[in-house]
Amino acid sequence: MKLYQGIDIVEVGKFRKILLRNINFTTDIFTEQEREYCLSRKDPYIHFAGRFAVKEASMKALGIGLSGSGIDHAFQEIETIPGASGKPVLSFSGWVGKISEKQRINQLTVSISHSSNYAVASVILVGTQ
Amino acid sequence: MSQNIISEEKVFNELKKAVVETLRVDADKINPETSLIKDLGAESLDFLDINYRLEQAFGIKMARHFVLEHIEEMFGEGTAIDENGQLTDKAVETLRIRFGNGVSELKPGMDMDEVPALLTTQSMVRGVMDILDSLSEKCSKCGSSGWESKDTVRITCASCGEPATFTNGDELIKEWLTKVQEDKKIF
Repeated sequence: MKLYQGIDIVEVGKFRKILLRNINFTTDIFTEQEREYCLSRKDPYIHFAGRFAVKEASMKALGIGLSGSGIDHAFQEIETIPGASGKPVLSFSGWVGKISEKQRINQLTVSISHSSNYAVASVILVGTQ
Repeated sequence: MSQNIISEEKVFNELKKAVVETLRVDADKINPETSLIKDLGAESLDFLDINYRLEQAFGIKMARHFVLEHIEEMFGEGTAIDENGQLTDKAVETLRIRFGNGVSELKPGMDMDEVPALLTTQSMVRGVMDILDSLSEKCSKCGSSGWESKDTVRITCASCGEPATFTNGDELIKEWLTKVQEDKKIF
């Protein structure tokens, strides 16, 4: 068994400014289900920031860097949606899914926390390698 | 086709402006060899912001997928990244051709997430120039072949003012990889 860990912190104020300045930000970075969930919440930006932190933490755990453009499609391939109990459930697809398969990862866990200023996410991946 | 309307210097200056506005750093600190991550401490949100600023300024669409991902899609799984998430010999050879001598630190067996820190402002300028060079010969609206850029870095039709359209960054990377494979037979 091999464990992979990633953690990330996002400054909500900075995140909000960038999101508001770029009209394609939410559709480029978040999946439809993530957008629906975040927009249904009282303060969507905190939840978008939390999910962004999950994407970053997952990339760190998997050892994937940013693409040259920064507006990386890999962000769309890391999805966090609420499970039946409300606990966030993480999944990978596409290129990120392939990297995860190469590392024989078969369990994904995520935890998100936030205050009004910061959102933090921790991702732990379990592989059989 | 190489467009001669927006020079490399203009692109570099626009990138510099985006970096200064995003990272709040002194413009003098930015030169073609500067790594945004290693030298200026940029994080992924900053990268996103800088690239959105460039897209808006030039009216272009940057690549959404890194070269390594395109290599695996075109030449097969495992051709760019091995099972440990590390760069293959062939991936390093290809990246060296693409990014030139500025990435001499690239080595086979290097972790994938070490690559972005090696990329410089020069490699970003090149990415933008490649897209601008895909400018079509004629305006899609009026058919005129005259292009201009007035006070901005936006290219428009000199006859009707229609904004120019360009091939997106991902399509250009695929075209480039096809050509490199034809010439060098790496994969």
